[in-house]
Amino acid sequence: MLSKPDSALVIVGHGSTVNPDSSAPTFDHAETLLARGVFGEVHCAFWKEEPSFRQVLHMVGRDDIYVVPNFISEGYFTKTVIPRELELDGALTRRGGRVIKYCEPVGNDARMTELLLRRAADIAPGVDPAQTSLFIVGHGTNLNDNSAAAAKREVERIAALGLYAEVRSAYMEEEPLISKWDEYSTQPNVVVVPFFISDGLHSYEDIPVLLGIASASPGAASAGGREVFQHNPYHLRGRTLFYASAIGTEPLFADVILEQVAAFDAVHAA
Amino acid sequence: MEKALADWLAGGGDRIGEIAIARGPAGWELRHAEDAGRADLTAHAQPEAARHLANLDAAGNFRPLKTAPTLVRGWRLLLADLAAVRRALDYFYPAMTGVWLSHTRGELVPVVLRATLGRQTGMYRVTQKLTDPQARELIDRVCAGCLKHRLWEIATTNPSSPAFPAGNLPLLCHEACNLLVAQAREVVKKAERAA
Repeated sequence: MLSKPDSALVIVGHGSTVNPDSSAPTFDHAETLLARGVFGEVHCAFWKEEPSFRQVLHMVGRDDIYVVPNFISEGYFTKTVIPRELELDGALTRRGGRVIKYCEPVGNDARMTELLLRRAADIAPGVDPAQTSLFIVGHGTNLNDNSAAAAKREVERIAALGLYAEVRSAYMEEEPLISKWDEYSTQPNVVVVPFFISDGLHSYEDIPVLLGIASASPGAASAGGREVFQHNPYHLRGRTLFYASAIGTEPLFADVILEQVAAFDAVHAA
Repeated sequence: MEKALADWLAGGGDRIGEIAIARGPAGWELRHAEDAGRADLTAHAQPEAARHLANLDAAGNFRPLKTAPTLVRGWRLLLADLAAVRRALDYFYPAMTGVWLSHTRGELVPVVLRATLGRQTGMYRVTQKLTDPQARELIDRVCAGCLKHRLWEIATTNPSSPAFPAGNLPLLCHEACNLLVAQAREVVKKAERAA
């Protein structure tokens, strides 16, 4: 088992200026890992919240520092924003007696497939996958991000297992659109898992509206947002639909964060 | 970090932002400074409680800026040791003990606003068009709602010493936050629309 009492772990996330649920899973995973005592220190940092990327290294007392992006995919944030703001030279940065080890984002982990499958099974207990269409929903835009590609990759991996009658990726803002879920599926049961790092406006409101299980009402992403996950299954368009919360709220993400650290050590021979 | 906190407390430190720190029944007690003397406070015993106390203001609005002077009242946090105090303070005032320690060691490098905006990319690159008068107005408006002492100006560092009373752990801002950068974008976009 990983044991790094002389190292610090910094989990970096996007965060939000409007919704505490955006940073909540990152803080939750950090608390889980701190309680396990794997690292001497565990901290979080965010683009839109505090501590910021520019502040966090002042919080760290140890000289051996692992930075794990709590992001679904490689892209603008992991390739540009985080390295720039933390002043990283690449995977390995040596500065002022410190070594900063920049790991791969959690979404790249091979266990993501297992976690998506687990979430899909949990949300629809007793439902036969052989009579179910599974949708992995990504954001999908021209955000210079690979989230759509990441969703597609997971769909291919899950489909290859042959468990579900159908496995499809769908997006909020590009084809195939999640709003057309009934056109893209043929099975009586439909399971929808958002491939997002946290719950928030997208999973509380945008996707439910696109699915047709909620009506557009500005502000639904506030306190009552989680309610949308408590009314499964939904019966509409002649199907039985199960809607899960964002995959990043899965507690096993804490283990995925550890695996990014182990993978870094394996590649860079710590 | 805990050693630095211990030294600060031993030297008479008793206040950080809106929070008063004192010896408690079995360790340390934190509470809102304006709740001094109150006996009807809800007690918490885990540093993680601070995360949730710091999240929302009294009206239930999210507090993305933790050094806004809007910390809720009505609680006290009983902590066993300074490691727990430090963790609680990292939730109440993220990074502020670490930034202060870097400052006392002479390791905190202030970054002027022009440098912060100059390295922005993507949707925030447009902030490089912010004029000096717009920047001045923005800083006066946005930073007025923050308890931190700014160590930077538009194009120079801020040479004034932090004006915190004795016993207060200084809350220091060594670089414009993303909240200000995001507001800078709004100012530039609004000016472009008006032109």
